[in-house]
Amino acid sequence: MRSHSFPELLGKEWRELLASRSCWLLLLMIGPLVGHAFITAVNLYAEASGLGGGPAALPQGLTPLDGILAPTFGAYDLAATFFLPFVAIRLVSAEKQSGALKLLFQLPGSLATKVTAKGLVLMGGWLISCLPGLLAVVLWKSYGGHLHGPETLNLVFGHFLRSMLSIGIAVGAAALTESAASAAIVTLAITVGSWALDFVAAGRGGLLQQLANYTPTAALRFFEQGLLRMNTTIVMLVVIVSMFALAAVWLNTGRPLRRQLLATLAVAAVLGVVMFGASGMRASWDLSENRRNSFPPADEKALRQIQAPLHVTVILSPEDPRSPILNRTFLKSCAETWPTLTSITPPAARPVCSKAAAITTAKSGTKCAARKSWNAQRSSQSCWKKSTNWQV
Amino acid sequence: MTALLTVEGITKYFNRRRVLDDVRFSVRRGEVLGLIGPNGSGKTTLFECLAGLMPANAGTLKADDKVLTSSQRKATLFYLPDGITPWAEQSVAWALSFFRKLYRRSAADASALVEPLRLEELMKARLGTLSKGERKRLLVALGLLTPHPLLMLDEPFDGLDLRQTRDAMSLLKAHATSGRTLMVSIHQLIDAGRVCDRLVLLSGGQVAGEGTLDELRTRAKLTDAGVEEIFLALT
Repeated sequence: MRSHSFPELLGKEWRELLASRSCWLLLLMIGPLVGHAFITAVNLYAEASGLGGGPAALPQGLTPLDGILAPTFGAYDLAATFFLPFVAIRLVSAEKQSGALKLLFQLPGSLATKVTAKGLVLMGGWLISCLPGLLAVVLWKSYGGHLHGPETLNLVFGHFLRSMLSIGIAVGAAALTESAASAAIVTLAITVGSWALDFVAAGRGGLLQQLANYTPTAALRFFEQGLLRMNTTIVMLVVIVSMFALAAVWLNTGRPLRRQLLATLAVAAVLGVVMFGASGMRASWDLSENRRNSFPPADEKALRQIQAPLHVTVILSPEDPRSPILNRTFLKSCAETWPTLTSITPPAARPVCSKAAAITTAKSGTKCAARKSWNAQRSSQSCWKKSTNWQV
Repeated sequence: MTALLTVEGITKYFNRRRVLDDVRFSVRRGEVLGLIGPNGSGKTTLFECLAGLMPANAGTLKADDKVLTSSQRKATLFYLPDGITPWAEQSVAWALSFFRKLYRRSAADASALVEPLRLEELMKARLGTLSKGERKRLLVALGLLTPHPLLMLDEPFDGLDLRQTRDAMSLLKAHATSGRTLMVSIHQLIDAGRVCDRLVLLSGGQVAGEGTLDELRTRAKLTDAGVEEIFLALT
């Protein structure tokens, strides 16, 4: 990277970003989207809290993360799906179609430097679009609302990764395709495909479920729950970098097709290895204020003493709406608490005829380590909190 | 004049169609080399292969008998394509300033190009609103701001009127006199005869002749013939 050319390239990309109508449309739309989400969230939160003397609906279960932050910042998920990709596509495709790329290719600095400049400028654009979100947070504080710093920052970080993922996919698609329209189709196809994967994999377990954990929507869900997972973060970062690397490979029109394909395979291989490696990583940090993703400290301490390999079996129909909740809460906590957990058998693919709606059994060797029953009236969280009959 | 670059055996296929066939010639320091040929003869494809914008199926580019690596090639030559409208939303002044700053050229260097290429009135105009000729004049200015030893211009006079063509020719000749090497593709053969020191005749993707006008006349066995007659005789 030649230091004297990089600021000029950044300046050029910045001017190009500001000249794009799609960028202004994003900035124009994000304010009302965030504003509407924030106002609705505040109203609902106030109603549920028993504002105006009305009955408070489970105020003890309300948190600003679920009630205010997640819905308000949810507007950024919408923007990352429907607006941001077009801003990114425009920044690449316009240069391809106008012939400017032929000049850009010959300017000082490597193509990777030029793609990096585009990425940084797009990141800057996203940061500017965060101003309405920041304003909403400031307003919430000015109303006397409570915020827990770590979970707020974690959520913003999740949205940052999710947006950069959108940008990366769009830049990669724009580099691979001939026109902006084709790039938009590819990007939307990936988005819809990820939704389909989310839907199909729900509660099924196995490889499909593992893959579905890394779709933008699913990955963001962890951050919305106050959880910072190392594997999710690493995979998202690597996918983002991979997409920009792919863009650098395919924008280099001077390379023979065979070399471009080989480079693409190499990027895909690195991505595959990272995803496989990340699937074994269990490190995560529960940054939620109410530690919703963790067992109570006393239980956690006791459970960590189990040294023998463990296997958790869940007897629950996959269609049962509690399956995803169980996956997100109890089973996730199991995986994060027990270092010796060998496997989790997901909800069985058959209907359960037991009176108990769901049974989870954790076995340590032949000894039953823990056994729990759920009924329809109990949420998973209350179940953990009330449960003191762990048989370790 | 010594050779700045030697092009050896450049061959390019589009699927099974051979558009460049074992193209060989040399580029001498400080000359204006004209690449002439009819539409579809492979001039633009040759430029893009030389600039590294398109992979060639075979062939090399050498300097001092050494094959240039892609980074050496990037440092040696700059190619100005024809028919592009880069950065349509930006102004002419910005484009000149961008190239000037990128290559650390002085403001005087840029100003020296503005008058002969008649860009003063266009400085605030957006690139997307320029006519073909205006855009071409700006692109020539951008090319002349680059510091590369060899500047390749694809159809630099296309879209220019007679007066503008003459001014642009004078400017290019002046740059060549100051030591820079220029390679221009021209399909107007009369223009080529006026501005070029030597010519490479390209026909059907093959080099049909290379040399000064006199050398080509001798080869074509036509005394006092113009470029058009020579080209017809050799292709």
